[in-house]
Amino acid sequence: MRAYQDMVFTTAARLVGHDAQAEDIAQEVFVRAYEHFDELRSSASSGGWLKTVTTNLALNHLRRYRARWRSFSEDDGTPYDPPSPDNLLAECSTEEHRALIERALRSLPADQRSALVLYHFEDLSYQEISARLGASLAKIKTDIRRARLALLPVLQSSGITSGALRD
Amino acid sequence: MNDDADLELARVVGRALQQLPLRHAPPTLAPRVLQALARRAALPWWHHGFPRWPQGARACFVLLCVLLNALALVGCARLVADLESTPALRRAWALMSAWSEVVISFMRTIPPLWLYEGLAVAAALYAMLFALGAAAYRTLYR
Repeated sequence: MRAYQDMVFTTAARLVGHDAQAEDIAQEVFVRAYEHFDELRSSASSGGWLKTVTTNLALNHLRRYRARWRSFSEDDGTPYDPPSPDNLLAECSTEEHRALIERALRSLPADQRSALVLYHFEDLSYQEISARLGASLAKIKTDIRRARLALLPVLQSSGITSGALRD
Repeated sequence: MNDDADLELARVVGRALQQLPLRHAPPTLAPRVLQALARRAALPWWHHGFPRWPQGARACFVLLCVLLNALALVGCARLVADLESTPALRRAWALMSAWSEVVISFMRTIPPLWLYEGLAVAAALYAMLFALGAAAYRTLYR
């Protein structure tokens, strides 16, 4: 469990954007893993199994509580205000920049964050994300693009954007 | 933003996200998992799923199901036999048969078009009920 707890927690936290809920999900994942202990102990793909179960449980959680957040299928048109980089110190360390990116990721609306995380961390295609989240392909593409644009100021403040994006 | 800039944005964001290290799981996670497992282990066996029941209990359960099915079959056979031998039951059976014949003959007098129309109305009402339910869900829970 110790070998995988960071991966499981991180996967859940990035999808649901809430540490306490991510911990609940991670707990459920490991309880399920215990039930399949005999199969997983001898399997080389136990990490993949854990990641898949974590992703599924996190997406189920998002679906169950979609009423509290924005739904996947609707866009209320409210413009999203990305975190401002104005207060960032130029001499922030790499670690601090990473923490800022994590925070910016967490502050994204649930539908944008989950689509972005599935695309960039889980390597799913637009079509697969659309099927997993039960939203249209166009909405998924829009959500991912908006999420990237929302992260852009933080990346620019970290100095990791290219010249083409600075303008 | 043009297509090139979009691609560049995707590349830059993707690279930045891929470089993020894993976050540390909270130190409370492992004790919570152990507590949850202990709670589960303390539950009596019949609270777990069937595959986790003791072998003896599973065998008894399967045997019981087979016995109940056999009893139901024997009961049905006895009932049919009793119908033919008990006058009261025979009369009741005859009454039910007569009633079903009345219903069937009544159904035959109805023009087929009426039946199709009735089915169409029922389907339309069902669809309307489904739409109302969906609208209520979207209005109340979103």
